[in-house]
Amino acid sequence: MKNLTDSFVYLGHWPSAGSFGFNTDILATNPINLSVVFGVLVFFGKGVLNDLLDNRKQRILNTIRNSEELREGAIQQLENARARLRKVETEADKFRVNGYSEIEREQLNLINSTYKTLKQLENYKNETILFEQQRTINQVRERVFQQALQGAIGTLNSCLSNELHLRTINENIGMFGTMKEITD
Amino acid sequence: MNVLSCSINTLIKEGLYEISGVEVGQHFYWQIGGFQVHAQVLITSWVVIAILLGSAVLAIRNPQTIPTDGQNFFEFVLEFIRDVSKTQIGEEYGPWVPFIGTLFLFIFVSNWSGALLPWKIIQLPQGELAAPTNDINTTVALALLTSAAYFYAGLSKKGLGYFSKYIQPTPILLPINILEDFTKPLSLSFRLFGNILADELVVVVLVSLVPLVVPIPVMFLGLFTSGIQALIFATLAAAYIGESMEGHH
Repeated sequence: MKNLTDSFVYLGHWPSAGSFGFNTDILATNPINLSVVFGVLVFFGKGVLNDLLDNRKQRILNTIRNSEELREGAIQQLENARARLRKVETEADKFRVNGYSEIEREQLNLINSTYKTLKQLENYKNETILFEQQRTINQVRERVFQQALQGAIGTLNSCLSNELHLRTINENIGMFGTMKEITD
Repeated sequence: MNVLSCSINTLIKEGLYEISGVEVGQHFYWQIGGFQVHAQVLITSWVVIAILLGSAVLAIRNPQTIPTDGQNFFEFVLEFIRDVSKTQIGEEYGPWVPFIGTLFLFIFVSNWSGALLPWKIIQLPQGELAAPTNDINTTVALALLTSAAYFYAGLSKKGLGYFSKYIQPTPILLPINILEDFTKPLSLSFRLFGNILADELVVVVLVSLVPLVVPIPVMFLGLFTSGIQALIFATLAAAYIGESMEGHH
């Protein structure tokens, strides 16, 4: 094989052996075919590649837009929630303040009514005491009276005799006789 | 390629010899330290790296929330790579996205630059410029990197328990599992190398036979398969990494 090649080296044309340079043989360097291939590649490949890249770009844009919208929605909801919170807080404060004054008022009312009831009871007590006093005094009076009357009856019974009766009747007859003389 | 086209031209013009074999073109050698390197592969690799880094830097200045065209394109590519990594590796795909992305982008851009850019305009003293992946050294390097990557992944996740996978599901399969560690980088490298070099050769042969219209369908086929090969390389690399990081059954 090497001898064959060597003979070719001697016989054939060895183009510019041993140096750098430019090869201007159009048929060997193939620029026509290369440009055709390159042209067709660019022509078809450009369309496909641009399609793919545009799809990708659209997808990215859509994702960004979606996430922006979601963010907006989330912010909106946050705002709403905050407003509701504030409103509820003020109402709670109001209720708390009202509640305290209610409590105090109720307290005062309770104290007043209890005081009144207490005073009434006091009155009743006093009245009852007076009444009881009177009753006892009356009872005592009655007893004393009874005793006195009994004593009187006893004295009378012991003092009243026939002689006293005779004398009393004679006096009364005499008195009536005089009164009859006077009226005549 | 020059030798090949030159030989065929000579044959056609002078009709002297019958060729029964094909020889692939020579390489342009540089001496670095004690090594001879294939300079044409290095030069084209640098160009590919410059294309990748330059376009990325240009497109990612001033990143916006709603992306500009360049930024949109690069983000799209990144999403694609992330998707590939996630499908193959699973949950812990995060740290591996740069590696898989580099593999995919480097192979893809180098394949397509070899097929689309008019490299033959620049003439070297020996050899010629073409896709950097048409050299077996490049593809073997990428495959060995992948090998190292999946070993590192397995060892860093499971420690020495990684080696228990050689005995699963049955210890009888131990020689086959060990063989797999050699065939994986072999198949990766040769698949890529073979596809790219073969496509280049076919195009060169067709161009030297019928320069004008006939090579065009083959060039399209070449673009298609080289793109697929880049995806396959990256997907397989991710699959090997995912397989070695797989949880306990």
